[in-house]
Amino acid sequence: MIKTALAWTAAIVAALLLGSLGISALVGRDLVSLWLEPWTLPYFHKGVVGGSLVAVPCAVLGCLVVLRRMAFLGDALSHAMLAGVCGGYLLMKLAFGAEAHIGGMVIGAVIASLITLALIAFVSRLTRIKEDTAIGIMYTGIFAAGVVLVSLLQRHIHIDIYHFIVGDVLGIGDSDLWVAAVVGALVLSMVVLFYRQLQLASFDRIMAAAIGLPVVLIDYMLTTGVSLVVVSGVRMVGVVMVVGLLVSPAACAYLLCNRLATMMVLAGLFGVTGVIGGMYTAEWFGTSGGGAIILFVTFQFLVVLMAAPRYGMLSRWLRLRRQLPQDLIEDVLSGILRAKGISPTLEAIRAKVAQPGGQIPRVLAFLEHESLVRRDGPGWALTDEGRVEATRMRRAHRLWESYLHKTGVPDDQLHDHAELLEHVNDPDTLAYLDQILGHPERDPHGSEIPRPVPVFEHPVPLRQLAPGHRGQVAVLAPAARGLDLSLGETVIVTAHADGSWTLHRETGGDVICDDEMADAVLINVVQRAQFA
Amino acid sequence: MATDRVARRALDLHHVTVSYGPRPALLDVSVSIEPGQLIGIIGPNGAGKSTLVKAILGFVEPDFGTVQVFGEQLSRAPRRIAYVPQRGAVDWDFPVRVIDVAAMGCYGRVPWWRRLGPSEHREAEEALNAVGMLPYRDRQIGELSGGQQQRVFLARALAQGSEILLLDEPLAGVDAATERTIMRVLRNARDQGRTLLVVHHDLATAAEYFDRLLLLKQRVLAFGPPATVLQEDLLNEVYEGRLRSFTHAITGEHEAVSE
Ligand SMILES: Nc1ncnc2c1ncn2[C@@H]1O[C@H](COP(=O)(O)OP(=O)(O)O)[C@@H](O)[C@H]1O
Ligand SMILES: [Mg+2]
Repeated sequence: MIKTALAWTAAIVAALLLGSLGISALVGRDLVSLWLEPWTLPYFHKGVVGGSLVAVPCAVLGCLVVLRRMAFLGDALSHAMLAGVCGGYLLMKLAFGAEAHIGGMVIGAVIASLITLALIAFVSRLTRIKEDTAIGIMYTGIFAAGVVLVSLLQRHIHIDIYHFIVGDVLGIGDSDLWVAAVVGALVLSMVVLFYRQLQLASFDRIMAAAIGLPVVLIDYMLTTGVSLVVVSGVRMVGVVMVVGLLVSPAACAYLLCNRLATMMVLAGLFGVTGVIGGMYTAEWFGTSGGGAIILFVTFQFLVVLMAAPRYGMLSRWLRLRRQLPQDLIEDVLSGILRAKGISPTLEAIRAKVAQPGGQIPRVLAFLEHESLVRRDGPGWALTDEGRVEATRMRRAHRLWESYLHKTGVPDDQLHDHAELLEHVNDPDTLAYLDQILGHPERDPHGSEIPRPVPVFEHPVPLRQLAPGHRGQVAVLAPAARGLDLSLGETVIVTAHADGSWTLHRETGGDVICDDEMADAVLINVVQRAQFA
Repeated sequence: MATDRVARRALDLHHVTVSYGPRPALLDVSVSIEPGQLIGIIGPNGAGKSTLVKAILGFVEPDFGTVQVFGEQLSRAPRRIAYVPQRGAVDWDFPVRVIDVAAMGCYGRVPWWRRLGPSEHREAEEALNAVGMLPYRDRQIGELSGGQQQRVFLARALAQGSEILLLDEPLAGVDAATERTIMRVLRNARDQGRTLLVVHHDLATAAEYFDRLLLLKQRVLAFGPPATVLQEDLLNEVYEGRLRSFTHAITGEHEAVSE
């Protein structure tokens, strides 16, 4: 754990160093001025502070947005704002004569977002139009209303649509900082206070409702929160890109951890690094601030996507490459299975496996992790699950070989085809193969085809079995001696009426038992009745 | 006198009708369930089994009819019912660990302003232990086998300490060993006096697993001891000939080998 953290820090520092060396050569500034000079500029401070104030709550709520698959909704909310901002602007100006009153605009924006949500819900619930289409129609429509409003009232409302679309981090004023701080405090305290409620309502809505949480209210709380952070985010990065601030840091965190709380903290961090990285980029190359921030946030995501230790592409690729050959896993399992009575040691398993055995310790570690085998003194033993799995794999392989043999596949190709097909091994399929092959005892190479592991641990009296169960006669107590049954033969329970049980013998013929006999016949059930 | 009798019942459904469209998923469902029983709900796909579970939980609002829990209206007894979801209804990529899921069982008891304390964490661990999942406490839930996942949700339901447990197909797609573990835990819960309603897909085991069976297909077609519910002609009618092997087994016919 600590080792990985150290390795990561080292990698990040190295990347930063190399990167900044490259950039300092590119823009012709030395390292010190590259990193420190921007901090002497007041707008840089404000951008970093304001950007972080916006990015952290965005990223934290973004986690819930990502997990609830609401990303498109964030987009809709941000677009709908323009109309609300105009409305708020106009109202404050007409009512109080206040020019560009920030509070009025923020409240207007939130109201417009909520109206959009209501319209989307209304259309998608009451008509055959599905939700995604409803979102598409409503947010473009309301955004267009905003655009038209702004151009109609040009003389009264001074809103720069260009900045509205792409944002203006470098022009952040004190009032923007205040709005961002208040929104951030509100949203973060909501998440901290109602963490459990938000988590459960997102993870298992039905249980949340069942323990009496107001799930609909929680939804509203969350969407109101999202529209608040979106409103404060638009000022920095604009309508189009604010979704990136919402979902990219959250998606980075999603690839890195296993707990919602950790995910939220990490997402917040990624939000801050995104803003700082973006501000530097903008400053070094003299580009648009909002664009640079979102670009950097996306870049972060791509890096994490590649390099994430568990859910990343690189580790996936490594895992695939390192993946243990299926036949080796099978050989090890069946090697342990064959060593009846004793638990074979590593050496004994090696001797049983016909292939180079260098990977066997890793195979065992993998099987232990999957709780298919366990350590037993110096050796290895199968767990219950492992025994079932080992038997099933071997049975699948040999049944497929028999099947392929029957369909005329040449003997030298049997193994390769069966290798592919043995993974198709659900009980129904195997039962089908077994049946059309006439329940073979041996495969084409003469090896025994193992019977499935009994469904129950012990033989079960016939009296307890419903029609459809198949199994082998295990015990014939005195009361059942007169019946035409022999130990070990396979029978199917075919019918059961009051006091009368019918067994169908696979070798042909039916046997009828009364209650007393049905108690005396014990069966090793190998297959349950199957219902399609 | 009458109220006394009602109060002793764990669940009382009166004329419950639930619809998502013109064809109701549940129609005029009335059933009374005594406490301390292990009850299997059977019926074909789309019969409304999950809907019945959601209606009892109060997650779907009936168009008509009432659900009473120990004689009280459902809305006043939210904590008395715990629930294990159908496998397909869970987002297995959600960032929660096994222990986090088990701890959710305590959410209903802890007021919103309080944090989960050590006693809640202990209860969650005990519940995991009861289903044999404590060794996996820090795994993300997607990294478990199907049977292990079921057991985690079972632990969550146990940690809720509710008198009534609803389980939606807890045995679907689990191996025989897990099936035994789950059934053992369910029987224990029943023996402690809890009432369990279990949606079950496997008619072959229904008789041996449950005290009572409820055969559902939009309406309640039968409710009672397994022997009275598992009538061949009734099942054939309900499952509309989809009981392939059932009929095969009865007639002794097998599909011919086709090349
Ligand atoms: N959320 C829903 N919206 C619309 N129809 C639904 C919904 N949930 C279930 N249904 C319908 O209700 C019927 C019963 O479904 P369900 O209760 O899931 O059945 P079961 O669990 O028995 O398979 C089905 O016809 C199903 O299509
Ligand atoms: Mg269902």
